[in-house]
Amino acid sequence: MTAHVVNLVVSGVFHASILFLVSAGLQVVFGVQKIFNLACGSFYALGAYVGVSAVAWYAEAGGPPALFILPLAIAGVAAGALGVVVERGLLRFVYDRDETFQLLLTFAVVLMMEDAIRMTWGTSPRSTAGLYLTYGGVHVLGTTVPVYNLIVIGASLAIAVLIGWLLTHTAFGCIIRASADNREMAEALGVDMRRLYAKVFTLGTALGTLGGALVIPATAAMSEMGIELIVEAFAVVVIGGLGSMRGAFVGALIVGVLRSIAISVYPELEMLLIYLIVIAVLVLRPRGLFGGAPA
Amino acid sequence: MRTTRRSLLRLMGAGAAAATVRHDAAPVFAQAGGPVKIGVLTIRAGIAAPVGAAGLRSTEWWLERVNKAGGILGRPVQLIVEEESNPKDTVERYRKLILQDKVEAVLGGISTGVTLALGPVADDLGTPWLSWDGTTQKGVEETMPNPKWAFKSVDNEVEAIVAGMLTAKYFKGVKTVAGIGNDYSYGHDCWESYQAVLKKYTPDVKFVLELFPKLGVTDFTSHIVAIQQSKADLLMCSFWSGDATIIMKQAAAVGLFKTMKGVFTTAGGVHDSLKKEFTPEGLLLGYNTMYFDDPKGSPLLKQFVREYKAKYNEYPPYECDHAYFCAESYKAAVEKAARSGRQWPEKAQVVKALEGIEADSLSGRRSWREDHIQMCNFYQGVTTHKNPYDFVTIDPIEVVSTKVAMKPAGSRLFDWINSWKI
Repeated sequence: MTAHVVNLVVSGVFHASILFLVSAGLQVVFGVQKIFNLACGSFYALGAYVGVSAVAWYAEAGGPPALFILPLAIAGVAAGALGVVVERGLLRFVYDRDETFQLLLTFAVVLMMEDAIRMTWGTSPRSTAGLYLTYGGVHVLGTTVPVYNLIVIGASLAIAVLIGWLLTHTAFGCIIRASADNREMAEALGVDMRRLYAKVFTLGTALGTLGGALVIPATAAMSEMGIELIVEAFAVVVIGGLGSMRGAFVGALIVGVLRSIAISVYPELEMLLIYLIVIAVLVLRPRGLFGGAPA
Repeated sequence: MRTTRRSLLRLMGAGAAAATVRHDAAPVFAQAGGPVKIGVLTIRAGIAAPVGAAGLRSTEWWLERVNKAGGILGRPVQLIVEEESNPKDTVERYRKLILQDKVEAVLGGISTGVTLALGPVADDLGTPWLSWDGTTQKGVEETMPNPKWAFKSVDNEVEAIVAGMLTAKYFKGVKTVAGIGNDYSYGHDCWESYQAVLKKYTPDVKFVLELFPKLGVTDFTSHIVAIQQSKADLLMCSFWSGDATIIMKQAAAVGLFKTMKGVFTTAGGVHDSLKKEFTPEGLLLGYNTMYFDDPKGSPLLKQFVREYKAKYNEYPPYECDHAYFCAESYKAAVEKAARSGRQWPEKAQVVKALEGIEADSLSGRRSWREDHIQMCNFYQGVTTHKNPYDFVTIDPIEVVSTKVAMKPAGSRLFDWINSWKI
């Protein structure tokens, strides 16, 4: 029984870790730019593909297998640079338009990215072969937990702490929070919104691409993999509160662990349970658990 | 008429094909009206895109060989490729192929969700349609028992039936079974068929868990926890795409198959991604209707595998042979129908010739049953690491004919299984 609980919690938190990174990217962009970025799932998929290529290149170059996580993480973060291109090349033209335009534009990015991925990496699923097993497993209370899952959980926690610190202890974080609260006032006080938007969107993109890169050893890259995750990411932001980073953290944990419990206890409830919570939150606390709190 | 880039490419393709045709072959038919236009429907986007790509690649390989050898009755063959997407749009493209492009036949169709809609349209439009992988089944029931123009793939549940038979043979003593498949018709139908067959062989077997994650899920760690908790003796999995690779890898990370047997009815569709590092020996693995590494394979199969590997750096999956047979049997039917006259045969004559026809395909002889369903062999076996590849293959190889493992024309699946004498 103890072993089963450990398995449930670890698998739930592992899923939550990836969900958090993608949702955090969604939140930071919405918090400042007020754009609901449907393409966050595509950035996640891009990170996964870039991660596969980086690891393949690393292996060919003769890098020690135990350190594969370094090129993986670097590639994941570097892929976030696409955010500048999307923001400067597309999004900046629709800031003053209706929200529908913004949604349509980010949806167009989803479709274009899917095709671009297919053209670049082909149609077959891509994976990093057996690297996932490089670190083996640890025995915890009668069960085996893959070490790589623990690394991903740890990395995600570290990123959560880092973002928290960035937002509360740095000038950049202060500007982000000020701009999220009152864009006009921040602009009047001299904040260069063009640069800020580019930086924030790149940060949001990098969180998604890093999430994709980190998860890839445990899974396989498929061009449509982001679509599945974005649906869950929506549930996370509704539960946690749109625009709230703490909300993304708590929402991801709730969705991840509940999904894991539902699959074990009553599999038919897997998605239903999550949406019941979404509905309950919308009815009882429409702004989400942490809605209205500063980003 | 405006010449678009696409129509120009089409003309150039036909011109190039015509240039490669041997001019000494069947001149009567060569005058019958330029190239033979054949429509192809294939999936090039989404989770089934690798399957669609494999089908198209082997059709193109067939095309090249046929055109080099003189075309069909001296006429070069030209393919017009359209996308298979949702049922409504695909039906529109199908109509366009026939009404606008005036093709002689349509090949392709992978998703039964789409081909279920295509079947009646094919019968309405009066042009032969030879499906690669799609059926006209609703669940496990056939909706078009007497089609006129539609030729359909093998029944969806055959590989689960074969796996049920082989489970009883290779994993004697299994008492409890857990199942996982995608949450759509194929996943559910495979699971139900597998249970019915295994129950027939092992009446006291218990099915303790069934999981149906959505198509496209890429994290099965929670599902594996549920499978571990079920303490089943065996896991049956009908995943056929990248999800098969993922669950195999995630299962290896917690040592699932150290204590549990495994049956992967369809994972041979992504065989070269099942690396030895995380795919253990001793699993039952299904390759559907073509096994690329069959030591008893024909010279045609060996040549195809060699050239496919050289061109795409992959080993071909089963969809290649579904597609190859559709194209080759169409050619054989046209040639058979033409024997009785000096004119290019009418479409109805080709359909008549297709009924019951046999043709050499990559995996061996295949045929069309009188009710327009493809007849062939299924390949499954036990995974082994003893091969020159970095992924698993199977040894021994079990070859089971659809004559044994597919419900006969006009029968109902579960009545048929219940009638077995074991």
